[in-house]
Amino acid sequence: MASKAKILRLAKGFRGRSNSCISIARERVEKALQYAYRDRKNKKRDMRRLWITRINAGSREYGVRYSDFVRGLGAQQVELNRKMLSELAVNEPGSFKALVDQVRFMRGG
Amino acid sequence: RRDGERREKRKMEKTVLRNTSLGAAAATSRSVRNRNALGVNTNTRGNRSTNNRLERLRVSAAGGVDGQVKWVGNRRKLDLNKAYYPLGEDVDAQKKVWYVVDAEGKTLGRLATMVSMYLRGKHLPTYSPSMDTGGYVVVINCDKVAVTGRKETDKVYYYHRVHRPGTMKTETFSELRDRIPERIVERAVKGMLPKGRLGNKLFTHLKCYGGSEHPHEAQKPVDITSLIDKKPKDADLAAVRQAVGLE
Repeated sequence: MASKAKILRLAKGFRGRSNSCISIARERVEKALQYAYRDRKNKKRDMRRLWITRINAGSREYGVRYSDFVRGLGAQQVELNRKMLSELAVNEPGSFKALVDQVRFMRGG
Repeated sequence: RRDGERREKRKMEKTVLRNTSLGAAAATSRSVRNRNALGVNTNTRGNRSTNNRLERLRVSAAGGVDGQVKWVGNRRKLDLNKAYYPLGEDVDAQKKVWYVVDAEGKTLGRLATMVSMYLRGKHLPTYSPSMDTGGYVVVINCDKVAVTGRKETDKVYYYHRVHRPGTMKTETFSELRDRIPERIVERAVKGMLPKGRLGNKLFTHLKCYGGSEHPHEAQKPVDITSLIDKKPKDADLAAVRQAVGLE
């Protein structure tokens, strides 16, 4: 078990007596570490959801839904992952539009 | 006077150095001494430091790189491996796009869905759930919004003035429309926005008006009435794309 000093160091920034009183801090730090463990796994899921939302918005601007877009990309064997697609949609709109146009052309406009 | 001359000379030297290819190469060097010699920012506290922020604001105020202020990616150095997160200047209220919707004859829920999407920013690829990336939406003719079926007489709005048993008040859709027509659309949209501090802030960006006049002509709102309930294939989004700065 970690020393009191270690626990209080981990409890910096907590609300109220949780950052100063050891018996309360111990509980909150345990919870915080549990959340951190859980959320390290959740982060990967959350980020993918965010990328998908962004790609959806970006492709809908040109009239294609996310589901159709990804399906079209798969059919043309474009292996870009969702992270890069969302970054293109934000930072390189021209390239993203090219991808959407390709999908639209393949599906017949 | 001699000090002033020396300062001028040094400033000119820095400019000349920076403008030559040697200077440009050295500007990208990581050595602090090189960058100090050229007057390039050596503040290593990262994106959030004041100097960097001011520099970026200056760039965006001057019209951005290549004069394209609105579109995000052109305004700063690209690092595709870091997921995009909006900075303060991207969600600046002065840069937000205004939209206008005419509610006359439109179905209430379908209208509210679209309005809440544009308020939240989910129509943009720069959407971030923790930041306010959406625009302002003006809804006019709120008193002529339609509902289907028998909801005009049967849809009931409940409220409390005093939170005690037996003091709940009710009124129907048509009664509320006679009393405060804007509240109908506001209530519908508020239920579709996230609940919390950010949701409350987004709700303040919704402006409902009972008649067909609105005081926001100066913001040149983009008309998105035709996009209600349209499939993405049939929606004509050219006006929105232009307002956002995509084309």
